[in-house]
Amino acid sequence: MSGKNSSVWAKSIPIKEQIRVIVTLVRMAKPFRKMFFGALAIGAAFALLQAAAPRIIAYYMTTYLQQRDSVTLQVMISFAVLVAVIRVSQAVADALNAYYFTVAAEYALEDIRVQVFRKLHTLGMRFFDQVPAGSLVTRVNNDTASLADFWRFFMQLTFVVMSMIGAYIGMLTVSVKATLLMLIVVPFIVGSVILYQRFSSSLFRHMRERLSHLNAKIAESITGIDVIQEFYQEDRFKKSFAKVNGEYFNARFRMVKADALLLEPMVDMLLGAAMVLVFWYFGVMSMSTVVSAGVIYAFTTYLNNIFSPLESVMNLFSPFQEGLVSGYRILGILADDTYAPAQNVDAKQDITAGKIAFQHVDFSYDGQHQILKDLNFTANPGDTVALVGHTGSGKSSTINALMRFYEFQSGNILIDDHDIRDIALKNIRQKMGLVLQDPFMFFGDISSNIRMYDDTITDEQVKAAAEFVGADKFISALPGNYHAKVQEGGSGFSAGEKQLISFARAIVRDPKILILDEATANVDTETEALIQKSLLKMRQNRTTIAIAHRLSTIKDADLILVLDKGEVVEHGTHEELLQLQGQYYDLYRLQGITNDSN
Amino acid sequence: MNIFGKLMWFFRQNKRLYIVGLSFLFLTEISQMVSPALIGRFTDQVVSRTLTVENLVFYAGGIFLFALLMYVFRYAWITHIFQGSALLEKTLRQQLFDHYMKMDTTFYQRHRTGDLMAHATNDLSAIQRVASGGILMLVDSVVVIIFTVISMVIVVDWRLTLIGVLPLPLLVLGVRYLSPKMRQAFTSAQEAFSRLSNKSQESIAGVKAIKTLGQEMADVAVFESQVKDTIQINKRVALIDSLFGPMATVIMTISFVIMMTYGGSLVLNDQITIGQLVSFSTYLGLLVWPMFGLGQLFNVLERGNASYTRVQSILSEKSAIIEDEDGVVEQAKGDLNINIDQFTYPDGDPTKPALHNVHIMVKAGETLGIVGRVGAGKTTLIKLLLRQFDGYTGDIRVGDVNIKAYTFSAYLKSIGYVAQENFLFSTTVRDNIRFSDINKNQRDVMLAAKKADFNEDVLSLPDGYDTEVGEQGVSLSGGQKQRLAIARALITDPEILILDDALSAVDALTEKHILGTLKSERREKTTIIAAHRISSVMNADEIIVFDHGEIKERGTHASLIARNGWYAEMYQQQQLATELEDKLSGKGVNDVWKK
Repeated sequence: MSGKNSSVWAKSIPIKEQIRVIVTLVRMAKPFRKMFFGALAIGAAFALLQAAAPRIIAYYMTTYLQQRDSVTLQVMISFAVLVAVIRVSQAVADALNAYYFTVAAEYALEDIRVQVFRKLHTLGMRFFDQVPAGSLVTRVNNDTASLADFWRFFMQLTFVVMSMIGAYIGMLTVSVKATLLMLIVVPFIVGSVILYQRFSSSLFRHMRERLSHLNAKIAESITGIDVIQEFYQEDRFKKSFAKVNGEYFNARFRMVKADALLLEPMVDMLLGAAMVLVFWYFGVMSMSTVVSAGVIYAFTTYLNNIFSPLESVMNLFSPFQEGLVSGYRILGILADDTYAPAQNVDAKQDITAGKIAFQHVDFSYDGQHQILKDLNFTANPGDTVALVGHTGSGKSSTINALMRFYEFQSGNILIDDHDIRDIALKNIRQKMGLVLQDPFMFFGDISSNIRMYDDTITDEQVKAAAEFVGADKFISALPGNYHAKVQEGGSGFSAGEKQLISFARAIVRDPKILILDEATANVDTETEALIQKSLLKMRQNRTTIAIAHRLSTIKDADLILVLDKGEVVEHGTHEELLQLQGQYYDLYRLQGITNDSN
Repeated sequence: MNIFGKLMWFFRQNKRLYIVGLSFLFLTEISQMVSPALIGRFTDQVVSRTLTVENLVFYAGGIFLFALLMYVFRYAWITHIFQGSALLEKTLRQQLFDHYMKMDTTFYQRHRTGDLMAHATNDLSAIQRVASGGILMLVDSVVVIIFTVISMVIVVDWRLTLIGVLPLPLLVLGVRYLSPKMRQAFTSAQEAFSRLSNKSQESIAGVKAIKTLGQEMADVAVFESQVKDTIQINKRVALIDSLFGPMATVIMTISFVIMMTYGGSLVLNDQITIGQLVSFSTYLGLLVWPMFGLGQLFNVLERGNASYTRVQSILSEKSAIIEDEDGVVEQAKGDLNINIDQFTYPDGDPTKPALHNVHIMVKAGETLGIVGRVGAGKTTLIKLLLRQFDGYTGDIRVGDVNIKAYTFSAYLKSIGYVAQENFLFSTTVRDNIRFSDINKNQRDVMLAAKKADFNEDVLSLPDGYDTEVGEQGVSLSGGQKQRLAIARALITDPEILILDDALSAVDALTEKHILGTLKSERREKTTIIAAHRISSVMNADEIIVFDHGEIKERGTHASLIARNGWYAEMYQQQQLATELEDKLSGKGVNDVWKK
């Protein structure tokens, strides 16, 4: 449980919001309405069957056992068979209703789960910067899962209502007057349900909040154990955990008390009170007229049928609330409009030569802090442009704007003299290859990590790409070679190996433009040499924009831009910049290679 | 069953809770027997029209009185028994937590965070269920079944009881048959769920890579196909789950049929009254849940037992690092004398020791530099200094006292440690800096931050020192995190400061600045700097070059350069590359605009 949970649980969602969430969620289940309604129809059939059996037994009791009207073994057996048939059909209806409803809910929630996942992929990087990955995983999986209980609540509720209606219909066929009298219990039932809902909702919310707090505390203490022990803070943590643990216990105990006060014991007491009504009514009646055994049997059974499913609904209040909160958060994601930057409507230009021009580009992530100011440069086809500067100088932001990860505010970015927004996004992704600083490896194998979903890439192309970047050597040493398993995050592969695979991933698509965010990871000297060699090869015949952390690797760049606080403060070739004796020169000197002949 | 025996210590500890709770549970169960009998008697008198007003008041009053009594009884047992189970969970959770707090590195290597979390959540709730539902099911199935059957015999008829109750054990068998299938289906559903979780986790973590290649929709398609599989698996769960209730209905039907035919014939032969038949049907209804419970009881106990065993096995693990509680309590201070003959990791290969013949003397106030390639032994040595591992031959002494002879408090409080990756807690910047002594005031905090060159960064954060960091808070850049961690270590002005590649993410200028501050502020105190960057250690009084766990070169910067060995080579290489790489490292967008 993340701390974000606790903040949601800490405050209640306004009623109006709750209704909106309920309505929206119910609407989202619409594609599966046939199944839902089918389940409900079966549920109605169940309720009627449930009402029929006591009625028949009552008749049997009164007519044959009490009044002994021409009772034969045959009559007894046929009534027994009739009741058996009804009750077995009731059982079948019960099973079908539960099964279809659960399956319908499953389809509906999985549908929403896919919607959330799909939605995430339409959102921009900005969104992912702001929302912790862990909470998104919770949204996609846990929150959607708790929607099952949300719908189950509705089912149970309709079920209870139908059972009640069924029971009252059954009673009506026995005695109209007594049935009317029995309606007295309805307000009590509704009242106790409402009372419980009132009490439990805030208690439950409080308990959930304490629980997520508690779990967060455990998780954090385990992850940070080194620090805790190193600074000898175990006692402080034990104490503060004891406090959190105690708070959760208290919250939970309060919930237990509320349940004990208002749930099962209450429902049973109401049933007992209703029974008194039956006794009184028929008892008094018996003093003036004949009352049959079947009638009493029927009424006591019907009362049971009314009260017993009640508890299951009340038990679903808390899960329902959980579902509501989850739904609220899911809808929050689905309504998020931090979309990835959009292309122009009829963007269909392609990238053919690979010329890049930044013209007066201003760029900000949040609309307040200007990151790039009036950035201008041109990279001709085949050129290498290197970006140099401190952390925060705008190097990564330049690439983020160029890759369309974020929207820039003003100015133009032109590729092959077309506005970048007029180029089909598909072409941008195809023709511009970005090699990330921290190459991400996906679960699968080497080949799937190079191919990355593009099935048009053949095995030969994968191999050729790996050979081209010099990754084939370590790949062929792996068991299974190109089909060697890759775990998520690529554990088991060194930083250098991951770099090489990500090179292959970019090169296999033969991009016109190569964008390099040079890695800072520590790799051994041998791999480093390999990486440098393949970088050199990759850059040939491609326009390259490189963020350089090692000046030695970009000395041959056609243009070096020195960025400082989002502005180009120096530009030129390596030699020119050295002669300038400015920032670049300082950086270079700091490295101590000014005297180095190569 | 023996899980109850294993939990006896807890039940004994909370005797009152359980005596009261169980008594009330018992009372509740007994009281349940009354109303069916009253209904039967009432019916008979109604049918025979012999009901008097007094009797009516007696029956109706009896029903009402017992309804009220049972309400009280139920409330009492629920609040006691369930309080007990919550208390059990709380107690065990605290035991686990306290245990986690004192376990060593080996323990944390053996158990992943997720597993440790699972013990504190899933396992505890399984155990808790034994003490709540388990007890209820046990009492239900023993007390209710016995008493209901006895009541049936007394109130109704022993022949009808015998035959009528006969089908009910089928319910127990049925539940016992379905439960394992349910558990199996449920396990595979959980596996499917974690597959989806992992997939979405990966997609979100790798979103940039996916965007880069424009393969968002292909990724959605993969997710969708996994969802399809999940639906199939969950359908099976739904199928099995939907069978429990109907099964009970069908089995109860057999009893109903017996009641109608055999019971009916008993009525016709005047062996029992019709009211007794009504009582019988009500008693039958009382048996359904206990039978269900009996079917599930073993399942609950079994699971609770397995969880309890797991928790106990975790709790019985011992830390290899043992505090000498009667040890030296004066704060560790003075020269650091490292004499390690050999150290191998607990799971390591003894023929390839992680450290071998490491003898270093650092006088109080001096700075020791440690360099060497990845895995050469730098961090291993630091781990020994931090007492994360004790299993080495030789000794490490501070102020001529073996570090194992100090109490933890006396020793660890003298050490300040900063790693390359530093964990920050989900609290304010201030509380993170004064982590080692939460009572330090703002002035101390700020002073430490200034020394770590971090104060200005803090002031530019949205809430300054009150800014929440950690998992849910503002994310800091790698360099900021390192500097915060340095401030955290510096706040107590430790006798020995250990920086383990702790400046890797700060740029060269800042590094220079911080090292300068350390030098002037910590003139009397010992500093140990392990680094990849030569620039971090070049001003140390002595520099050690590690290779394969041994000291390969040692000396001052000048002497090592003159020696022209690995150090000199490394120095030159870094001149070409590494130093600048770090100086210019762009850690991406995040840190930039969140600054």
